[in-house]
Amino acid sequence: MWLRPAVTAVGSEIQDIEHGARGPAGRRQAFTLSLDGTTRMTTPKIPSVFSRRFFGAEEQLSLIGSGSMGGKAQGLEQFQSVLEQLEGDCKKFPEIGISIPRLAVIGTGHYAAFMDRNRLRELAASLEPDDKIIRGFLKADLPFELVGDLRALIEGVHTPLAIRSSSLLEDAMNQPFAGIYQTKMIPNNQPDPDIRFAKLVEAVKFVYASTFSQSAKSYRRVLPDAAEEQMAVIIQEVVGNRHDERFYPELSGVARSWNFYPTGSAKPQEGVAQLALGLGKTIVDGGLCWTYSPSRPKASPPFANVHELAEQTQTEFWSVNMGSPAAYDPMKETEYLVRGSLVDAEQDGTLAMLASTLNPASDRLSIGVADRGPRILTFAPMLVSNSLPVNDIVQMLLRACEKELSAAVEIEFALTMHPLRFGCLQVRKMLVSGDKIEISERELSGDQVLVASERACGNGRNNNICDIVYVVPERFDKSKTAVIAADLEGINRSLIEGGRTSLMIGFGRWGSSDPWLGIPVNWGQISSARAIVEATLPSMNVDMSQGSHFFHNLMSFGVCFFSVHHEGQFVIDWAWLAAQKAICETSFVRHVRLNKPLEIRVDGRKGMGAIHK
Amino acid sequence: MKNKAFNAFEVAQHQFDRIAEKLQLDQGTRDLLRTPMREYHFNIPVRMDDASVKVFRGFRVQHNDARGPGKGGVRFHPQETIDTIRALAMWMSWKCAVVDIPLGGSKGGVICDPHGLSQREQEQICRGWIRQIARDVGPLADVPAPDVMTGPQHMLWMLDEYETISGGRYPGLITGKPVGMGGSLGRKEATGYGVVITLREALKQLGLKAENTTASVQGFGNVAQYAIELYQQLGGKVVCVSCWDQKDQAPNTFLRKKGIDLAELQKISDSFGGIDKSKAKGLGYEIQAGDQWLSQEVDILIPAAIENQITEDNVNSISRKVKIIAEGANGPTTPEADKVISERGIFVIPDFLANAGGVTCSYFEQVQSNMNYYWTRDEVLGKLDIKMTAAFNAVSELANSKGLPMRDAAYVIAIGRVAQASRDRGWI
Repeated sequence: MWLRPAVTAVGSEIQDIEHGARGPAGRRQAFTLSLDGTTRMTTPKIPSVFSRRFFGAEEQLSLIGSGSMGGKAQGLEQFQSVLEQLEGDCKKFPEIGISIPRLAVIGTGHYAAFMDRNRLRELAASLEPDDKIIRGFLKADLPFELVGDLRALIEGVHTPLAIRSSSLLEDAMNQPFAGIYQTKMIPNNQPDPDIRFAKLVEAVKFVYASTFSQSAKSYRRVLPDAAEEQMAVIIQEVVGNRHDERFYPELSGVARSWNFYPTGSAKPQEGVAQLALGLGKTIVDGGLCWTYSPSRPKASPPFANVHELAEQTQTEFWSVNMGSPAAYDPMKETEYLVRGSLVDAEQDGTLAMLASTLNPASDRLSIGVADRGPRILTFAPMLVSNSLPVNDIVQMLLRACEKELSAAVEIEFALTMHPLRFGCLQVRKMLVSGDKIEISERELSGDQVLVASERACGNGRNNNICDIVYVVPERFDKSKTAVIAADLEGINRSLIEGGRTSLMIGFGRWGSSDPWLGIPVNWGQISSARAIVEATLPSMNVDMSQGSHFFHNLMSFGVCFFSVHHEGQFVIDWAWLAAQKAICETSFVRHVRLNKPLEIRVDGRKGMGAIHK
Repeated sequence: MKNKAFNAFEVAQHQFDRIAEKLQLDQGTRDLLRTPMREYHFNIPVRMDDASVKVFRGFRVQHNDARGPGKGGVRFHPQETIDTIRALAMWMSWKCAVVDIPLGGSKGGVICDPHGLSQREQEQICRGWIRQIARDVGPLADVPAPDVMTGPQHMLWMLDEYETISGGRYPGLITGKPVGMGGSLGRKEATGYGVVITLREALKQLGLKAENTTASVQGFGNVAQYAIELYQQLGGKVVCVSCWDQKDQAPNTFLRKKGIDLAELQKISDSFGGIDKSKAKGLGYEIQAGDQWLSQEVDILIPAAIENQITEDNVNSISRKVKIIAEGANGPTTPEADKVISERGIFVIPDFLANAGGVTCSYFEQVQSNMNYYWTRDEVLGKLDIKMTAAFNAVSELANSKGLPMRDAAYVIAIGRVAQASRDRGWI
């Protein structure tokens, strides 16, 4: 068994165990148990009641209705508390306003009323396809007690809004929900308040419906207390500026105070950060972005040459569409989003602090965009030249949030240049397993080895997996990764229903949004996996993701991740797999069940792992 | 006990006179506003099911339309009088003005008892009423609506007759139509919800939470039922409901200390809001005399039946616990009772503010019908909440700043607006 959230260490710090108990109105009351046995109650602050003024209200965060704010909103409340404590430290950056973007949270009381009065629970629990569930939710009426507040809100706000999920289960320490529920961003720029109100209402219902997508339901089946799930909804200003028909922040980022994939001499506790131009969706979806260690912002990236660098860095970005509305499609999370290119960003004047310029004649990069040439998003002006102290702010926040939450943390943020504004979008805890595992070189080879890797993520052991789901190498077709994803989802669902966990083996980047670079699954479609192998083939020879698309899910479920290159030192025993009897087989995928569980071990400190038969 | 019979119009004029004095209105303005501008009295002959002919007396009173087309319901009631209609028309002028919708005040009625009439006979009355008044109503002139003992079907008969006479489709003639036939989503809830929107704002002002309050409601018709529904959704508890018993020809009060079950009572009530006494007893409700709703130990009273229910004869039976009276009906409190209530410091949400949700939503229906384009329920109710909340806040701010009772503040705003519109048109 992987060691569960309990006794871990981040550096030499002690980690607390939280036992949650729900107080009246579903509000979580936390009892923090330190390892010396003492307890202290940390009741969350009661948020202020929404006063029908959004930007005009005194408080940054307010609650509409009753019930809980949900995990994400509570995280933002904690972030707010951290910023209040850091007021003195923030003065070191006088030119940058650091805050959480203003938000109002629709409490879970309204969610319950919406579900009950519209009799949606049967539809929600059914096996109907996602679009039918969404349609049913869109047709339903919001509770009357909510519509007046939403109407008042929208009449006073004319800037883009993010309508985000904030469920009760997102509150639990070891339940990562990144990518499980949906977020809808609305441009909110129509002159007619009736239209803006209608779009807001639609977005709220869409987020409610996302609670019951097939992948969300599959995901929750493996969790305790899943029946308690309720959805609060955050309505939050989008950090960004308008550039012609695009609205976006110049920079989005995700930073973690613990890094399972340290490169070179970097240590896990130095953390890792990912930066992108535009909305943070690029990072959350596992798209190309800039990854670096906050302790070593000037370190050279792990690319062989500038051309490889150019290929592996971001060239497109997401923004909110402020121009002519796209086709009406309320089923789509990206209904109001558009993708732009670096050319668009250059036209908008947003690359100055983010890009370097390649000189094709000399194959050298110069920091900034003063020279002519192809732009490459290296973020060097701020990381190398330190023209903006973004990394200093990130480090400050990581340290402060770690201290406040007494755990390794992940934060999301966004930055605009004019005015200079650093928006803190989310904070959540990470889990770090503390087992000390040692694997010798001898254990990485031999007949007993099914998979071995010197690029393994995670830490600990698992002796409980008997089910292996793998993509058959001889039948792999990179044009059919979407079909493969669907096959995996089907097998995963049956494993979940049977209460079983699995080892999954596939080719290319797991979770890639580009089906030509890997298998385009989301976490809910492979949630039975407790070990994942990412392999390559000559026909699918891509830079491996090392689990970056499911980073948070891998860590929080204690899933180990093996990267195996077809030309590497260690290989997968495909012949042994082929000899096992399949209990289910599709055109591309085989599911075998062993009589005896596999023995899986990963030494997270050295990044070595082995799966023995 | 007073010997003088209750006269609603005298009450309405008395209320107006008091406020006209506060506003220092000139005599011309007072004369214009204290009486209706136009009245129509007519006979409606109907061949009954038994082949006999009965002549019903019908009315339409147009009090003032300086702010826009007249608006007001058509009621069927056996004790209807022209004075009641006049009062109601006047109250409609003030109601439309206090919620700031661009409409004037009208009211209509027929002296009849629909309990004893078949559907066909009621249809004939509706069509006959329109035949008499078609020249003087219309989408741009005066827009009728349902009222006591009339409903969507009656409105459709009237609309159909009007369109036959006029030779076109005029969905904006009349409101209260069924959804799908020109009606607005949200209309049936609107009056009752509007009462509770104002109640919600009053509770905020008094620093009270709905979930810590109890209420007693007079009436169990459309307004009362939706008011109870929303009040319970806000967390409040209704412990008492009273309604008219057609068989007994008297009102009854139904008590349940732990809180009434709305759905349960709806199952045992008729289309006029009359609750079956014996079935209610079987469900464990305590049955008391009809006026007992007024003396319950509750925080909130919601008179939501008809006028003249809280009088100087029974006002002192109001419990000391009562903090708020939200007048869901028109004219439920006489001026004499009002004085006592004011002295006791009970917060009154006056009728024409509290029950303005209905006319506000009627206005929305009228707008949608005239455009022939219909909104979603969320849109209608969202706008209703904003409008009612704004109206309450405006009245409350004036009441607080000038030290006026809520009723007076509401009248000052309403009468002031109607007077100004009349002046702007050059009538006075």
